[in-house]
Amino acid sequence: MRIGVFVCHCGSNIGGTVDVPGVAQVARAYPDVVFSSDTMYACSEPGQAAIVDAIREHALDGVVVASCTPRMHEPTFRRTVERAGLNRYMFEMANIREHVSWIGKDREANSNKAAELVRMAVEKLRLNAPLYPKSFDVTKRVLVIGGGVAGIQAALDCADGGIEVVLVERESTIGGKMAKLDKTFPTVDCSSCILGPKMVDVSQHPNIRLYAHAEVEKIGGYVGNFKVDVRRKATYVDWELCTGCGLCMEKCPSKKSPDAFNEHVGVTTSINIPFPQAIPKKAIIDPTSCRQFVKGKCGVCAKVCPTGAIRYDMEDQVVTEEVGAIITATGYDLFDYTRYAEYGGGRYPDVITSLQYERLLSASGPTGGHVKRPSDGKEPKTVVFIQCVGSRDRSVDRPYCSGFCCMYTAKQAVLTKDHIPDSRSYVFYMDIRANGKMYEEFTRRAMEEYGVQYVRGRVSMIVPQGDKYLVRGVDTLLGEQVEVPADLVVLAVGAESSHGAPQLAEKLRISYDNYGFFMESHCKLRPVETNTAGVYLAGACQGPKDIPSSVGQGSAAAAKVLGLFSRGRLESDPQISQVDVRRCVGCGKCITTCPYGAIEWMELRGEMKARVIETVCQGCGICTVTCPQGAIQLQHFTDNQILAEVNALCLS
Amino acid sequence: MPVLKGKELRVVGFLCNWCSYGGADTAGVGRFSQPTDLRIIRVPCSGRVDPMFVVKALLGGADGVLVSGCHPRDCHYSQGNFYARRRLETLKTFLPALGIDPDRFQYTWVSASEGQRWKNVVSTFVEKVHQLGHAPRIEEAAPYLPLAEKGDTLPAPLRPLAWPAAGTLTASLEQLREKIRAALPELDCVIGWQQGFDALHATPLFMRKPEDVDKLTWGPLNVHNLATYLPQFKNRKVGVVVKGCDSRSVIELLQEKLVEPDNVRVFGMACEGVVDVERVRKAMEPAEGAACTDVAPAAVAVEGDGLAFEGDTPVRLKLADVVAEKCRTCDTPVPLLGDVVEGNASAPAGPGPDAPPSLEALDAMTPEQRRGFWRAQMDRCLRCYACRNACPMCVCRDHCIAESRDPHWTTQEGNVREKLQFQVIHALHLAGRCTECGECQRACPVNIPVLALKQWMNRSVLTLFDYRAGVDVNAVPPLLAFAVEEKNIKEHGL
Ligand SMILES: Cc1cc2nc3c(=O)[nH]c(=O)nc-3n(C[C@H](O)[C@H](O)[C@H](O)COP(=O)(O)OP(=O)(O)OC[C@H]3O[C@@H](n4cnc5c(N)ncnc54)[C@H](O)[C@@H]3O)c2cc1C
Ligand code: SF4
Ligand code: SF4
Ligand code: SF4
Ligand code: SF4
Repeated sequence: MRIGVFVCHCGSNIGGTVDVPGVAQVARAYPDVVFSSDTMYACSEPGQAAIVDAIREHALDGVVVASCTPRMHEPTFRRTVERAGLNRYMFEMANIREHVSWIGKDREANSNKAAELVRMAVEKLRLNAPLYPKSFDVTKRVLVIGGGVAGIQAALDCADGGIEVVLVERESTIGGKMAKLDKTFPTVDCSSCILGPKMVDVSQHPNIRLYAHAEVEKIGGYVGNFKVDVRRKATYVDWELCTGCGLCMEKCPSKKSPDAFNEHVGVTTSINIPFPQAIPKKAIIDPTSCRQFVKGKCGVCAKVCPTGAIRYDMEDQVVTEEVGAIITATGYDLFDYTRYAEYGGGRYPDVITSLQYERLLSASGPTGGHVKRPSDGKEPKTVVFIQCVGSRDRSVDRPYCSGFCCMYTAKQAVLTKDHIPDSRSYVFYMDIRANGKMYEEFTRRAMEEYGVQYVRGRVSMIVPQGDKYLVRGVDTLLGEQVEVPADLVVLAVGAESSHGAPQLAEKLRISYDNYGFFMESHCKLRPVETNTAGVYLAGACQGPKDIPSSVGQGSAAAAKVLGLFSRGRLESDPQISQVDVRRCVGCGKCITTCPYGAIEWMELRGEMKARVIETVCQGCGICTVTCPQGAIQLQHFTDNQILAEVNALCLS
Repeated sequence: MPVLKGKELRVVGFLCNWCSYGGADTAGVGRFSQPTDLRIIRVPCSGRVDPMFVVKALLGGADGVLVSGCHPRDCHYSQGNFYARRRLETLKTFLPALGIDPDRFQYTWVSASEGQRWKNVVSTFVEKVHQLGHAPRIEEAAPYLPLAEKGDTLPAPLRPLAWPAAGTLTASLEQLREKIRAALPELDCVIGWQQGFDALHATPLFMRKPEDVDKLTWGPLNVHNLATYLPQFKNRKVGVVVKGCDSRSVIELLQEKLVEPDNVRVFGMACEGVVDVERVRKAMEPAEGAACTDVAPAAVAVEGDGLAFEGDTPVRLKLADVVAEKCRTCDTPVPLLGDVVEGNASAPAGPGPDAPPSLEALDAMTPEQRRGFWRAQMDRCLRCYACRNACPMCVCRDHCIAESRDPHWTTQEGNVREKLQFQVIHALHLAGRCTECGECQRACPVNIPVLALKQWMNRSVLTLFDYRAGVDVNAVPPLLAFAVEEKNIKEHGL
């Protein structure tokens, strides 16, 4: 092999504390090195040109650049050597800046270390082999999981971009949390007025196939070619026939079914369309309360339905969809405040959650938009809001800030004044976090124009007294005890990951944090990508987010998918594992440990062997360590390549 | 390569590309000054770090090895660090068996944004290594061979080892033969034992015809673990006769899909302990220790708790004195699966000793003695691979990485380092798989107690993962699995 070594000064960044020409000099004596030189800026135009020239002039077939971190310029130099006709994997980097010159000033030690790092790179390079990517076709369809505002935005953007969308929503209607909101901060415009038209667009878009009341059961395949099994849960109503007229709801005799859409403020009928703007606007039977199911007789809805859509014997159905990319937009759930004994642990009827309060405020809600206390239906005159319930509290393992509670509390206090002009509102808070555009102005208005009383401090206890609730706390600014007799207490419950998120992450093979929120690929630079190629994130499933950010991410994820699909074919990374079938004994240990399901069985002359599916393998190398006889080797990081580096340092 | 004399020690780091390598970059960008000793090898994932790389470095003269990956749950490949944690913790508990200070090896988690933390990790670790100083090389240790002169001070067996009276034994054996004859038509062959070249040695018997079955023997001379032959019969229907301990190997092979459940029939019988031929030989030596080592008795009879040797000078040996080491602590005299003739195996009288004898001996040594011990033993090792070839779990055979060039884990140099590297490979490859059948040690022509390394490993696996190999066909072995929260692995402060 003929290796060329280029040692970079990086101006004085490296040259300042490393004897760069000296390192180049030493490198000339390393095995297979036929050329070495120092260079001022290897990555600059002339620096790269010098590498290209040297490759041609000295007929090099491998190059080592000793400079900055490969996480920065490896792609750059790979392109450089490729321009000179080398395979891009016939290249290695020695990081003598971040790992040497910048972390110590001892010139002798630094120079010696730099020379050793070059030696390691040379030894590895000597065992490198050219690798070639393979290209494959892409199914230009996208799966969007979750039909909240983020998922809706992503679906519409993709559909408008001309690709087919499969939208899977767990509930019987799309809309997510936003569909339950009354008005939205900071403009206080009506939530259903801005979301409603988008939901209708989803139902009418020719490129969108919506599966509501459905869940993703299984995901196989890889970027460009996923195969997804969707379980369409039984609704007991044939949605092809249901027109959403609502006659069944009027006649249903079972009127005590839990009303999940209204956050269990009140009850509803067993056959139900969750709200008038629901999309799809179709009825669904709750078999846990329906008399036909519980008692075995009733059948009223079947009798009244004008289109004969009722199907008591309906069963779940699994459909398979093929897609090339997946956007996950499964949103969030609310913290269960009953864990806090000081707020009554769920025993006080007039201590409610913020989302329940949204339903009380909403004209489409159970009270028709009149704010009434759940206990006695009276209009509350004194309303206390408590912020950070299940946020920023280590004692309940929720150390993070839920982001939007400060804002929606201000909004709800403002709306309270609008609904009940002679009311007084108090807000107990820890800090006000109003960092969005127009947000600070909005909370100011709540205080100044609407006279909302903000008290900085935690509530220590809520004590029922007569038909009121004494809210006790400390005002930490004044250093005083405060006690407010409230008619209604609204808890700004924090956001937590959507239930079932970790299980979905396992199916998608993406990571999630300690709290179940999905992990983006890079917190700053790759915020909507995941580490699984072809899987993207949108909305609050990645972390608590308000509507503007959720929508922004929905569009961003759609743009990523459209970008991915704009290429006719995709290339697979050749840094993947490969099985030496002669060595493989077919024990399947690698198949057990591969986190991506990238290894499958194949039969070879009557014997079972392992085979890596090139497009699925992500190149982690877990399998390589698992296989006792080293039959499966991660290309570019083979045992021998890493051993060469170890041996360069140790043995001699 | 030489390290800077007097200033630096040799410290090798394996860092995952996505988190820790990035963290080290971040530390560089922040100009956080660090000791210059560390040399970093970039790997995609901590799950790519084979514990053998660490051993390779440590045996090759590294004074310290550091592995760092993404924090648990943050792995770029979602699970790599979970596997790494199990593998590396297992290694850490194993290193002392070789006399290597486990503090010379550390693994930790550093994210790409934790530049400050990386600096602290490097500084703390390198400082620790400097406190420990230059790592003593095993090949330079003063030879230490306590077992060579070891008298027969082995502990008494756990149960009163006694074979049934001749009549009963023959009856049971006949029952076993009947079962085999009945099954033979559907099988390619059944593997059992027969008398070998002399009355003291049994050898494997491959029964194909009904008359072969007559040659089948049963008793304390059936030392071989015949499960070792099974993988060679893959895809053919075959039967095997097992003792209690052998049955665990079969379970392990089934669990690892190295043999097919549909293709193997297991026959077994309760066992009362097998002899250690070496010990018999010693016991029969003339008292003065004269050169006569050829013990070729005309016949050996089993008599309850003893063996009677007929010949010029008839001898009677107590089974308890000559029984194999593994039988002293055995708690599975009756095979755990298959078509078993129960016999009347006695139950263990009480809980066994904390460690089997070879392991106990290793435990009793200081780290320095252990280095001297392995140095001396490896000096004697012929590198014949008899230990591996006898191991029922070493199914790679021709492809064993001890002899391959790709991957090239060991060179063919006949030195202590390379020979020990092979023993470590064997022990690490057997982690969570070894059933302690003792075949490796029995097969060794120069009596190197290689079983002790596996026993050490098994103890680690038991303490860390509460797992014993060869008990449950459906179990997932601990190193092929992980738990998000590990019960018995503490985070190492770094
Ligand atoms: C009381 C309250 C008031 C708020 N007020 C405002 C406001 O005024 N302004 C503002 O900007 N923000 C407000 N927010 C925040 C707002 O709710 C969120 O920003 C927004 O809903 C996030 O949208 P999303 O699509 O990411 O998640 P979600 O709205 O949670 O939608 C997720 C969807 O995914 C579905 N889903 C979940 N898991 C699965 C699965 N496994 N398979 C299929 N489907 C699944 C869910 O059923 C749901 O339909 C408020 C929040 C609360 C609690
Ligand atoms: S672990 Fe190795 S031997 Fe076993 S199936 Fe995988 S590649 Fe083959
Ligand atoms: S390197 Fe191995 S374990 Fe990792 S994704 Fe590829 S096949 Fe799976
Ligand atoms: S030592 Fe390892 S590689 Fe060698 S035969 Fe045994 S299991 Fe296979
Ligand atoms: S059987 Fe003994 S001599 Fe042979 S390789 Fe194994 S330990 Fe060495």
